[in-house]
Parts: sequence; structure tokens; C-alpha cells
Amino acid sequence: MSSGHALADDAAMQEECNPFLSMARGFNTAADHLGLDEGIREVLQTPDRELKVSLPIRMDDGSVKTFIGYRVQHNTLRGPCKGGIRFAPDVNLDEVRALSAWMTWKCSVVNLPFGGGKGGVICDPRTMSQGELERLTRAYTIAIMDILGPDRDVPAPDMNTNEQTMAWIMDTYSMHARRTTTAIVTGKPLSIGGSQGRREATGRGVMISANQALKIVGLRPEDSRVVVQGSGNVGGIGALLMHQEGYRITSMSDMYGAIHNDRGIDVPAVMLHLRKNGRLDGFGGAERIDPKEQLELDCEVLVPAATENQITSRNADRIKARLIVEGANGPTTAIASKMLEDRGVVIVPDILANAGGVTVSYFEWVQDRMGYFWTEEIVNSRLEQIMVQSFSEVHETSKQYQVGLRTAAYIRAIDRVATVYRMRGLMG
Amino acid sequence: MESQSSHLADQGIEPGAMPSTPMLDEETPFATMMASFDEAAARLGLRSEVYQVLRKSDREIAISLPTTLDDGTFHVFDGYRLQHNQGLGPFLGPLRIAADLRIDELRALAAWMTWKCAILGIPFGGSAGGIRVDPAKITTGDLERIVRRYAASLTGDVGPERDVFTPDLYADERVMAWIMDTISTHERCTASSSVTGKPLAMAGSLGSPDAVAQGLDIVLRLACGHYGMHRQGLRINIQGAGTVGGNLARILHADGQIITGISDVSTALFDENGLDIPAILAWREEHGHLAGFPGSHQVLDGKAFITAPCDVLVPCAVANAVHSGNAVQIQAKMIVEGAHGPVSLRADRILDQRGIPVVPDILANGGGVILSYFEWVQNRTGLAWFDGMVNQRLVQKMRDAWSAVIKAQEEHNVSLRHAAHIVAVQRVAEADQARGIFA
Repeated sequence: MSSGHALADDAAMQEECNPFLSMARGFNTAADHLGLDEGIREVLQTPDRELKVSLPIRMDDGSVKTFIGYRVQHNTLRGPCKGGIRFAPDVNLDEVRALSAWMTWKCSVVNLPFGGGKGGVICDPRTMSQGELERLTRAYTIAIMDILGPDRDVPAPDMNTNEQTMAWIMDTYSMHARRTTTAIVTGKPLSIGGSQGRREATGRGVMISANQALKIVGLRPEDSRVVVQGSGNVGGIGALLMHQEGYRITSMSDMYGAIHNDRGIDVPAVMLHLRKNGRLDGFGGAERIDPKEQLELDCEVLVPAATENQITSRNADRIKARLIVEGANGPTTAIASKMLEDRGVVIVPDILANAGGVTVSYFEWVQDRMGYFWTEEIVNSRLEQIMVQSFSEVHETSKQYQVGLRTAAYIRAIDRVATVYRMRGLMG
Repeated sequence: MESQSSHLADQGIEPGAMPSTPMLDEETPFATMMASFDEAAARLGLRSEVYQVLRKSDREIAISLPTTLDDGTFHVFDGYRLQHNQGLGPFLGPLRIAADLRIDELRALAAWMTWKCAILGIPFGGSAGGIRVDPAKITTGDLERIVRRYAASLTGDVGPERDVFTPDLYADERVMAWIMDTISTHERCTASSSVTGKPLAMAGSLGSPDAVAQGLDIVLRLACGHYGMHRQGLRINIQGAGTVGGNLARILHADGQIITGISDVSTALFDENGLDIPAILAWREEHGHLAGFPGSHQVLDGKAFITAPCDVLVPCAVANAVHSGNAVQIQAKMIVEGAHGPVSLRADRILDQRGIPVVPDILANGGGVILSYFEWVQNRTGLAWFDGMVNQRLVQKMRDAWSAVIKAQEEHNVSLRHAAHIVAVQRVAEADQARGIFA
């Protein structure tokens, strides 16, 4: 009896934690507010194009292995597709499809002239050599090349892909196209058309979002204790930049554990420690705590910047923060979101809060198209301009529709795409 | 057949003497040029694979240019385009039109362009092209047909994102316009950014004509600051009074500097109290040379001029103006190379031992290449920059390049020239390594 109850509970939790169902729910709520009819909903939810490719690769041991890759182009109404390429064993078409739609909304919230795309290759990069990864990347690039292009589809790094992967893509495309085409991909090294400020971009966007949201809550950075889940590219850099802005960072974590000091953590020292040791463990200026308790610490701002589904119906009641800034993708379930917003907690949703990364990717594409490169100051100031503007639009929308920031962000995003759809009309 | 070869002789072209393949011993210009980069590569501990790649051109294209000349005779001229390394971006380089064109010189020039673009921080690899013909012995119509056939034959290998042409001695803005027109016609689009150095009326850039001189002025400022020399009252000797030397003299004089000496092939004028530069340039404009300019200045011969007293010597005329024979007598406290290779390698060592810094050509005369890059950018965006913007960005680019070279100099404790080479090799190697080997 009790186990049956637990199973039902698990099933409910599984559904709550399905990020694609969450997104579909977010889409439909926003579409209801916008009064969109069935036809347009179907157009906006169906990917424009899905490509599946087989990639035979000669492995280092002489054997030939055939990998499967995907590229999904969700929507090109607002411009060429933009979205990452991930290498992982559990890549599947459903996931790539959902993530591509996510990119459409993310690009639209911050008003970048892109639609959404996503790609992936089923492989386990941890078991592959650099040579095998290079051959796989080049084969994948050639296989999807006909639907790629600076004006068609512009990939970027994602899970297990990095600057090096992007350099191979740029090289392969350029050699096939017989012309240097830096704007084919973003997240490249600086030496071949990368942008200043890209590595810090997502963390910087999180910091800017926090600054804007703090004004709604009526707090100043000096009065705000911040708990950051994560310490990597988003959490670590976000914490560092917030520390510089005057916030008091009281807790950080990594995959091995969490640290806490209510008087504030010396974040630059933590980053130095991380660079040396690879983990937070052993950092002297704070006490170790149970990572499960981290999210429930007494604080004003919570920045979940690690993985999805960290805040669910199970712990939402115990969250003490007044402001949540979603650094990660999907850290708060829809049910938890509602519980928190009913209590007056302000949540800056992922598609807005962590859009700093794609925004600087957009800057990289712009710079590559003209062949002229901006200083880091210019990149940062333009990023701030876009984040502040987007935040204010989403905030206005939330007041207008009497909804939380998450629903407001989807309303903004979907309305923009729907407007273009009506303008451009149907082909043929 | 006989009439043809006799006509070739009329053209000053001896059929038997046409060099079609270069000598491949270690004394070639390319080998000499690369030798100066060997040290940089060694110092950087460059991986052997990367260095082997850098020692060869990516691509060497030889084409035949059949042309009927205005006098009714028919000739097949030789055309080349050598593309050294495209790690950092599309190729960029000059077109040489000369009767004594040698492939190996082009090969050296192409590689030199790769390093130059890398030091200046602009997204190009290096290339160099040439047509073997004596431009003085053919008509303008002949030249146009040869150049157009040359550009048409290279379609597919050149263009805005493949290989961009820059002007050279006989490849002036008119030649650039023909190339642009030919590529645009063949590609069915307006390919403005396939050549640079275009006139303003056809999408050229402001600031182009005196870009090298502007760059030299900027570098001179940076160098004075670095070596603690007061710019105020600085006495400067400039060898050359043409596009580079003349413009530099004009800019420096307008800025209140004292130009104590200026020369051209005809003569050298020297006055330790400073020369009246505007009057001198006006004289040269009118007479075509400096000789005969009236005044109380001294008149020196070319040899004495190089070793005349001054704070800064800017040789803007010929290669090897400062050589092992006169390096010991140089009185300047600093040399800024305006021309291509005005200080010989042996002189460079002597000056280094004497503690006289030499700002190397590859950095100092980069203003022209930077302006080519700016023109390309403006053509890509279709937006022309204002004059102030061009200059401000030129200053920024030169400043960044200077800082990178100084940083390398301090890090490796070498001369400015070696430091510049280190910066170049490092940047190109980094891009090549990131891109990997395509197959």
C-alpha cells in the first residue's frame, strides 16, 4: 500500500520533472494569455526541419564505428537558427527537438534575430581520443553542411563540446565552402573569430538579471545574501561578478559538496582554490554543509546554476530566498514555480536569466560577419544593454498580464515569433 | 614563330631567360626570410608539425595569360598567386607587375604578409601575386586585358573571403578597379572587398593615401614614450620624400616636430635647426625632385645623409639603406623602418649591440595593411567610417600591436624585431593548431 503510494508519487514527480512537459506547459499558458488559435500553436510548436545523419568513423584501433547525429531547426521565422551541439551517450531526437524549441524562445526573449536550433551526436566523449573526436566533428559538420550557413543555421558549444570543437567545425565548413567562414559557428577561440567576453557572458547575464530583479524586490546588493548552487562557468563566474557588485555570497557548491559562511565568502579566493584543486573541498574560509540543505539556507537571493529540477514541489516550501535567478536550464519545476510565486517569491526564468551566453554568441556572429572585432568593454556594455532592456520588457509584460516573470517571458517570446509569422505569411 | 620571339626581345623579355621555377637552395629570398623566423620558432618551442606547415605555402597557383597586344602580336604571359597560410583568415597580399618577377620572391612576400597580419592583429593570412611583364613596354589597354585575364583565371581562388588583393608599385588603384570589376562580373555580385586601395568613389576608405605615414607617426609616438625620449624638440631625419617619407614629414612637421633632414634619389637636404617641410614638398610636387630647392640648408649625398646627426632616423626609401658598412657611424638614437627591409640583418646586430633600438618594418609600416583591412570591413558592412573613426581605430590597432611586441620583448629579452617575429609565429601557430589538419 505504502509502496504503491510511493510509486504513484514517483510517477507524479517524474512528470513534474520532465523539462519538455514543463516547456509545453509554459508555452500553452502563454499562448492562452495571447489568445493564439490552434493553427498558429501548431506552427510554432512543430520543428521546421529535422535531420538525422549516420557518421561512420575510423577509430584509433582500426575498427569502424557508426555514430548517429541530429540537427533540428525549430523555427526560422525570426532569422537563421542558433543553438548548441552536444556530444553525449543519451542524446535523442526528442531531447534535441525540445532544446531547439527552447532556443527559439530564448533568442526571442532577448530579441536576437535568430530562430532556435539544436544538434547532438550520440557518443561518449570520455572514452574517445582527440583524434576520434576531431574526425567525428568533421564528419558531422560535412553531413549537416547543406543546412548550415551564417544565414541558415549557426551552431555553438553545448554539453561536451568546446572551443576546439567549434574550431574544427569552422575549419571544415570553410574548406568545403572554399572561403573563410568564421560566422558559421560561435564559441570559437579568439584567434579565429571568437568574441571577447564570451566565457563570462552567461555569468555576467545572471549578475545583470539579479541587479534588475533586486529593484523589484526592493533590496540593495549590500543587503543581499546570495546562495549559488554551482561554481562553474555560470555559477562560479556569476558569483564572482555578483561579489564584485557588492552582494554577499554566503554559499557555493560543486558536484562534490557545498560550503557556507553567513558573513560572506571570499569568492576570488574560492575561484583560485578551484583552479588549483579542481573542487571546493578544502577551502578554508567557509564550513562544509550538506548540499541538500544548501537551497534551503536563509538568504535573500538564490542562484541555481547547476542542473535542472533542483527546486520541486518537495522542497519549494522550505526555500527562504525572496528572489531566484535561474542560471541553469530548468532548475525550478512548473509546480514549484507556482508555489513560490504564490508566496511572492520573484523568479527570473532561465530563458531570460541565462540568455547572456547566446547574446554574446550573437555578438560573435555579428563581428564575424563584418570582420571587425569589439573590445571587451564594448561587448560587456552591449550585453548589459540587451539584458536590461529585455528584463524591463518582461517585467512590463508581467504587470500587464498579471503573471509571474516566467509566463511573461514566454508571452514576450511567443508574441514576437507569432507577429513575424503573421507578417511573413505562409510560403506556397 | 620567329616574329613572336623577336617581338619578345623587343619587349625586353628574353625567352630563354624566363625563370619559371625558382632555385631551391638555401639562398632563396624565402629561405632567408624564414631564417629570421627560425629563432622565434625555436624560442617558442614550436611543435615540429606546426613549423613544417608554416615553412610552405598553402597553395601556389601558376596561370598562363594569353593576350593579343595592341600591336597585333600574341603573347602568353605568366601569372602567379602564392597563398602562404590561411589559419587566421582569408589571404591578403599585393600584386606585383614586373619584368623580372621571381616566384621565390613572391613566396617570401606571401609568408611575410602572414606574419605582418598576425602582428597587427588583423584576420588574414598572407599571399602575394604577380604578372611577369614590363609595364613600361605595353599599352594601358594591353595591361588591362592581361590583368582582367589574370583575375578571371583566379576566380574561385580569390575574392573577399578567399584572397584579397592590395596595391603595389605598378598595381595601382586603376589595376585594383579592373580586378574588382572582373571578379564582380564573374561572380554576379558587387565584390568591392575583393581588392583594397580603391578610390573613394568606388568604396575606398578615408585615410588610405597616407596610411603608412600615419602608422609610422603613431609608432614613433609609442616608441618615444617607451624609450623615454621627449617628442618635443625631437630631431628627425627621413630618407625618402614620396608617399611614405613625404607624408610622414608633412604630418610630423604639422605636429610641431623638427625635421632636420629629408632626401630623395636626387639629393638630401639637412639643417640642424629644422627644414621648411611644406615649402620643400611643394617644390618636389612642382619639380618632381628635391634637387635645386633653394635655402640655407646643407646638401648632403645619400651616404652622408644616413649617418647625419639626429635623434630618430626613418628610412622610407630602399632596402639595406643601413648596412654593416655604415651601422657603426649611425648617430640616431633610434631607427624606425618605414621602407621594407631598410636595415640589413648584419646592421641590425651592430645597432642592437650599440643599444640603438630599431622598430622593425613589419610593425612600423603596418599602417597600409591595417587600412586595407579597414577598407575590407567597411565594404563588408557597406558602411563607410568617418575620418575620425578611421584614425582612432588605426591608433588602437597600432597600439595593440606595439604592446604585444613590447610584452614579447620583455618576456624573451630580445630585440624588437625578434619580439615581433615571436608574436607573429605564436599567433599563426595558435590558429593553425586550433583548426587542425583538414582532410
